[in-house]
Amino acid sequence: MDRTGVVVARRTFLYVGLTVAAIVVLFPFFWMVVTAFKEPGQAFSQEILPSKPTLENFRRVLSDYGFARYFVNSVIVATIAALFATLFATMAGYVFAKKQFIGRDKLFGFLLASLMIPGMMYVVPQFAIINKLGWMNTYQAMIVPHLANVFGLFLMRQYMMTIPSELLEAAKIDGAGEWQVFRTIMIPLSIPIIATLFLLTFQFHWNNFLWQLIVTNVERLYTVPVGLAMFKSAHEELYTLKMAGSCISVLPIAGLFFFAQRYFIEGMTMGALKG
Amino acid sequence: MPRVDSQTQNVEQTRSDGPGANPGPRRASTLRRDSATSYTFLAPFLVIFAVFLVFPVFYSLYLALHQVPADSFDIFGGLEFVAFRNFAKLFTDTKFWWSVLMTLYYAALIIPSGIAASLALALLLNNRLRFVAAYRSAFFMPYVLDMLVVGIVWTLIYSPHVGILTRIFESVGITAFTERGFLGMPASAMPSVVFANVLKGAGFGMILYLSAIQNISPSLYEAAEIDGASPWKRFTSITLPLVKPITLFMVIIGTIGALNAFAEVYAMTSGGPNVDVGGRALGATWVTGYYVFDTFYTQFKLGYAAAMSYVLLGLTLLISLVNRRFLRAEV
Repeated sequence: MDRTGVVVARRTFLYVGLTVAAIVVLFPFFWMVVTAFKEPGQAFSQEILPSKPTLENFRRVLSDYGFARYFVNSVIVATIAALFATLFATMAGYVFAKKQFIGRDKLFGFLLASLMIPGMMYVVPQFAIINKLGWMNTYQAMIVPHLANVFGLFLMRQYMMTIPSELLEAAKIDGAGEWQVFRTIMIPLSIPIIATLFLLTFQFHWNNFLWQLIVTNVERLYTVPVGLAMFKSAHEELYTLKMAGSCISVLPIAGLFFFAQRYFIEGMTMGALKG
Repeated sequence: MPRVDSQTQNVEQTRSDGPGANPGPRRASTLRRDSATSYTFLAPFLVIFAVFLVFPVFYSLYLALHQVPADSFDIFGGLEFVAFRNFAKLFTDTKFWWSVLMTLYYAALIIPSGIAASLALALLLNNRLRFVAAYRSAFFMPYVLDMLVVGIVWTLIYSPHVGILTRIFESVGITAFTERGFLGMPASAMPSVVFANVLKGAGFGMILYLSAIQNISPSLYEAAEIDGASPWKRFTSITLPLVKPITLFMVIIGTIGALNAFAEVYAMTSGGPNVDVGGRALGATWVTGYYVFDTFYTQFKLGYAAAMSYVLLGLTLLISLVNRRFLRAEV
């Protein structure tokens, strides 16, 4: 083979490899979507694509099985939680990046050390606290315990350290107060990382199934994953409906990822790559 | 999750230009004023952190050392102190040791296969090709989606008789999975859970490997090529050693992930299917994370679950200590 032959063969090999890998990785989601469009009870029909695609499954899970309500709950929980978690991490990240204060480095080390603790550790005591506060079956029970996002704080600090301190000092000389400096200089200059953290925390809370399962036991407050888990155990055989519910659960995050994938990928890998 | 060694590095970095280096009288008053402002900004974060992340770690120990009545969730005060009874029970609990064994088995499967899949995808993407960005997104996308949903979809794919993968295997003459499905057989259950999880998570490691590979100087490869090194040789003696920090990082987060494994097991197998071990029925995917959940959520044994989570913490710290030793020795 001549040189171009080798190049063409190599390229073909790479494209085939990439395409096969993409098919394997995405197959579960493809299968989820096509099954959701099959007629109820036809989940295991021989056809790959449904011959008579139907929205019946979606209609039924949304109205008969309460997924419309679960969806609203998920949106409420994930949006409010993402807003506050991002705000708190931004405020904290600012002072860790730009301020000198007593106990700063010790505190930062302590915060980072907490990342080592396995999540399962928190489940029992956090449940006890929520119960003591009388917060069982409330939105705040799903939201508040996760508003101190140490990883988010770390991302914020790393980003804000790159903003020149001279800008802040200039504003202070012009008579701006602390809060004003934060609001009019730090926030506008940190928009990319704020957007990233908002998306990541939204995604976290949208998928925060275990905790939401633990603090809710009334249908009125189920989020989509909790509703899906309950549906899964109650109707093991209703696969087309389960797949429609799964689509509803995955769609918002897949959509966000489609439009803002750069933020997701950078935000999620930044902690591992920088430093 | 950020890497721990990078964090300590950053802490040291700030320490060099930190306060206290030369606190003259004027500096000291500024420091005090700045401290007041800083803690005001930190207040919301620290309050939540203290109440919901620091306090629980200690409270969990309190629960682990007390007898929690099975019918009560109001477990502040008035509990009977039982010292290490929960822990003692734990150390003689076959189901617990089995869960540790299954967690190790899970880790032993998922860490190498996750690394291999991530590295393979990164190598494929590390070429000047069209649509590279689209492929990259496609591989990463499942990582952001919910494990519960992914697990539910896989139970459908793995189903006995009618599951699509079962039928594909049947069509090439493999009928071993037909009767009970991939998740219903002890031998295939754990590998099947791991396979689903590797496909979901490979995109994350892929990005890490890709950026490490792209940081390798092309001149190294050129020199090796001139010396007549085969592509395989170039991979093993240039690429692999230079991406080693990423590999070690993958081992660490893989271990922590295994110790926390829950949603995948909940969605796909609920810890089953049972295997007969010396007359006892034990779950083939009964990992420790799932056992903690089951003890707490299904059996309502809060003290016992807390004790178990403490052992989980101990294991995590032990493993990361070993890993850090290893990391320091090797890099």
